[in-house]
Amino acid sequence: MVSEVKHLVRRFICENFIVREEDFTDDDSMLEKQIIDSTGVLELVAFLQEQFGIPIADEDITPDNLDSVERICAFVQRKSNAIPSTAMAMASRRTL
Amino acid sequence: MKRCRQCTLPETYPGITFDTQGVCQFCRTYGEGESIRQRRATLRERFAQLLATERRPNGYDCLVAYSGGKDSSYLLALLAREYGARPLALTLDNGFLSPQALVNMDRVTQSLGVDHLIIKVPVEIMRQIYARSQRQPLFAAKTLQRGSAICMACIGLVKFLALRCAIERQIPFVAFGWSPGQVPLSGTLIKSQPAMIRAMQRATFEPLYAVVGEAVRPYFLEERHFRAADRFPYLVGPLAFSPYREDRIMASIESLGWKRPTDTDANSSNCLLNSLANRVHKRQFHFHPYEFEIAGLVREGILSREEGLARLTAGEDAQLIHRLEERLRPSTD
Repeated sequence: MVSEVKHLVRRFICENFIVREEDFTDDDSMLEKQIIDSTGVLELVAFLQEQFGIPIADEDITPDNLDSVERICAFVQRKSNAIPSTAMAMASRRTL
Repeated sequence: MKRCRQCTLPETYPGITFDTQGVCQFCRTYGEGESIRQRRATLRERFAQLLATERRPNGYDCLVAYSGGKDSSYLLALLAREYGARPLALTLDNGFLSPQALVNMDRVTQSLGVDHLIIKVPVEIMRQIYARSQRQPLFAAKTLQRGSAICMACIGLVKFLALRCAIERQIPFVAFGWSPGQVPLSGTLIKSQPAMIRAMQRATFEPLYAVVGEAVRPYFLEERHFRAADRFPYLVGPLAFSPYREDRIMASIESLGWKRPTDTDANSSNCLLNSLANRVHKRQFHFHPYEFEIAGLVREGILSREEGLARLTAGEDAQLIHRLEERLRPSTD
């Protein structure tokens, strides 16, 4: 589950924000490295909602949840646990 | 130049891929139809409810980032007339607004009975931003896919200035004139969070501070603002979830006395500097800075593909560009 989420998130970041896999680690702050900007955060939120079927409340939109691949994966995991089977079902429905 | 057969995105747009039919990935994944209409209706309803809940009987309900262009003029009218809000218009005058835009702002705010704050930026700030933008990218690659460096610098300044002003005046909403497709629908009505705003501000502030120095500080939030977490406003883009038709927008704002400036380029209805900013961007990145926005409007059915292409390929006013370059020439020359 975690590696699948990580793969999908990294692929989205590379494709949407035009960076290469080797340009960022899973721990890098994407805002500090200027990989994503303020509109990019909103695009990331829309992607996570759509891809994993998780509800994201306004108060969830924080760097603690969204500023690195590791944090995003942990956030998706937490949200998915709150809605059993949703994330797995959503993720597995889509082609890798 | 090869372009997407459905929208207008060109082969030079970063990261673009075309399928065998010549359609780009943005069009292939574009969601449309009933679910989008339903989500827009839900957002309209939620915004109206929040506005009613958060209304300030003795103050402003909503601070509007007001450029004087057609979209933000319409936004002001929409908020004042259809939502019954009491907005405060805030304009960042970069010193390069069309004289007609200044007239339009006065007419629209007077017609609507809306208070209007104008902050005028010293031309030296714009001069330094322009000079740096010619030498090297000022912002991240993704940011420069959405607009020219000069445009994104002004947008960055006005965004954080608006937040600062809203927090200081306890205004519960900051409204922007985002057109449909410019921002993901889910991001068009959100309560701002101090920690995220701090991180976002850093990404805008640091590049500008590196160029301009202390002079940019008054446009951004300070620690005292971040400490006032309960005053952080909702960020809202009502045009993105409202019916958006250019003919209706024009009819609405023309009834308020708004007239289209004749001295701006095809993609701006307020700023003269836009044409020079576009030229610098095209020279550096080989795509028009309005590609993303116009492709979105075509995808949404707001512009026809031909209308979109006409805006992207419209000629430049060489005399205007020359005058702008002269005005922006470093003062030490």
